[in-house]
Amino acid sequence: MAVLAQNERPAEDGVASGGQRGTVVLRGVAKRFGTTTAVDHIDLTIPGGSYVVLLGPSGCGKTTLLRMIGGHEMADAGDILLDGVRLNDVPAAQRDISTVFQHYALFPHKTVAENVEFGLKMRGLPPAEREQRVSEALEFMDLANLRDRLPKQLSGGQQQRVALARALVTQPTVLLLDEPLGDLDRLLQLRMRVELRTLQRRLRISFIHVTHNQEEALAIADQIVVMEDGQIKQVGSPQEVYRRPTNLFTASFMGDNNILAGRVLSVNGDAVEVACDGLRLRANGVPHALTVDQPVHASIRAATVRVRPEATAATDLPPNCVAARATFIEYLGDIVKLHCQTASGLPLIAKLPESDTSWQHIREDETDLVLYWDDADVQLLTA
Amino acid sequence: MSSYSLPEAAPVPAVGRRRLTANLSWALLLSLPLLWLLVFLFVPVLVVLVVSFFQPTLSGFEQSFTLDNYRLLLTSGPFFSTLANTVLSALITTVVTFLAGFWVAYYLALVVPNLRSRFALFIIALAPFFTSFLIRAIAWIPMMGREGVLNSALLSLGIISAPLDFLLFSNFAVRVAMAQLYMLFMISPIFFSLSTIDPAVLEAARDMGARWWNILWEILLPLARPGIVIGAVFVFVLSMGDFATVRLIGGGASTSVGLSIQNFVTFMQFPQAAAAASILVLVTVLGVVLLLRWGSIGEDL
Repeated sequence: MAVLAQNERPAEDGVASGGQRGTVVLRGVAKRFGTTTAVDHIDLTIPGGSYVVLLGPSGCGKTTLLRMIGGHEMADAGDILLDGVRLNDVPAAQRDISTVFQHYALFPHKTVAENVEFGLKMRGLPPAEREQRVSEALEFMDLANLRDRLPKQLSGGQQQRVALARALVTQPTVLLLDEPLGDLDRLLQLRMRVELRTLQRRLRISFIHVTHNQEEALAIADQIVVMEDGQIKQVGSPQEVYRRPTNLFTASFMGDNNILAGRVLSVNGDAVEVACDGLRLRANGVPHALTVDQPVHASIRAATVRVRPEATAATDLPPNCVAARATFIEYLGDIVKLHCQTASGLPLIAKLPESDTSWQHIREDETDLVLYWDDADVQLLTA
Repeated sequence: MSSYSLPEAAPVPAVGRRRLTANLSWALLLSLPLLWLLVFLFVPVLVVLVVSFFQPTLSGFEQSFTLDNYRLLLTSGPFFSTLANTVLSALITTVVTFLAGFWVAYYLALVVPNLRSRFALFIIALAPFFTSFLIRAIAWIPMMGREGVLNSALLSLGIISAPLDFLLFSNFAVRVAMAQLYMLFMISPIFFSLSTIDPAVLEAARDMGARWWNILWEILLPLARPGIVIGAVFVFVLSMGDFATVRLIGGGASTSVGLSIQNFVTFMQFPQAAAAASILVLVTVLGVVLLLRWGSIGEDL
């Protein structure tokens, strides 16, 4: 365990010293491949000792950005700084940064111990010290009994732990993880993401993790960086990104949001009314200035939509209420997803907890329902 | 254990029957190559071995047992030096084809970026094999002769003042020609071994501070080892048995056991030819066994 002890200091230290090692700052970083812009002048600060997830669909530039931080790709423009030192011209091997590659990229002909030892060997450490640190890293990652196995003799989860041990044995201040859970089956994914988070807390170094899986990002991150087309769309804590998407892309990419296009009807302080296809919405706490008749999108999380069986004439409903019928009831175990259609033909999704048994009395295409939600759950998006 | 009933497993006799048919189809599949080997390899080798113990006569042999053929060969200085020269040529050819072919294979497998141009270049590398062996061997003569392309070029450049004689009709010439002729047998298996390497593995190695020689020594050579061993076996066996190159390019200045055998056959000395052939096979097999053991290839395949 002592191998990583240099990083494993009590939480108070990090706070007291104000700002930990492993702070990555990107300033105007750009990368083009031929005519396509992979990363488009990105500015981002990753605080030392934090768990940051770069989230986006494939081709959004998240992996290219990670590779530039790791030194596997050269930035065309901009500065990459680690703890204030410009890294652009520093070779990958000399950066204080390690990478857990996608599909792990373990050396297939080397044993677990030899894989972990490789980086130390390349640094010219004497054999005795290498052996010491390898043993400690294997112990730390709970791999000691597998040290003489070859990668092909290991399960996916074990291979991942080897990749982690191999990356951590050189005591980096930043660990880059490229789709680290992508090769694992779902149950193992759920377990490993807790382990990754725990590991990061223990080591108190920065983890930068790339994924296209929103749920994984929400579960694991201190900060989520949502990316699309080489640009950052939103940076925030999981709660901020999930509850308060600031743009259409984030709202739709995070999933489970009902997104409606409409126009502003009235603005009264921070309470705004919006008309969307025969449906009246009211939002409060709108952070940005809106003008009447401005086109906006409204995002309403499916889990905030509530349902009551009630036959009603559509016209006498207050804002944030709509008459609808369920077209399809999707039973997902812990939750039940009602796919609904309003009288004017808008599709809306409501997610109810399975324990809320009211859904059991709803018949598809038959039961008249009223869907309703709180003003605070309506997010208005102008971008 | 749960009390749920699962579909019954297939009854045992059915399984037994299935195994029997599986075994039968295996036997059928194996019997064809075995038959092939029997008719075209084991029987001829056995015939050669038997004939090598027959008494030679002026016009062939008579069927009486003797060890004279072996005794005469193994106590003959010229035959021993021929055998030694054959083994040396084969070893040099193997080493040279490896040293040169590895980089060609490396370039094709790991430097050429896309699969399409990779295989296009591989086919181009194979191109010499679209022409006959004899033509390729003969083509060396105008290249390397006293008044050949190479000598003329060196003379006109003023690098040499008299033609180099060792370029043709020498051991050197034979080894150069064999290296060129058999290069592809080294490149191909190494190319296929290196093609299976995930480029991310090399990137990971570089990320951990490996320089090119570390990558060569720690990653590429170990992972290419099966291909290297197979290529070395190909080239070694082919060079050991070669007589055409030795005759054409060596022109009497070089010898090989294969050439001696051919000479014995020309003079109808079949038992001597058979004995020389048996010794050649024995030495070749010994070399292959050593190569395979050195490469400990069984572990990887």
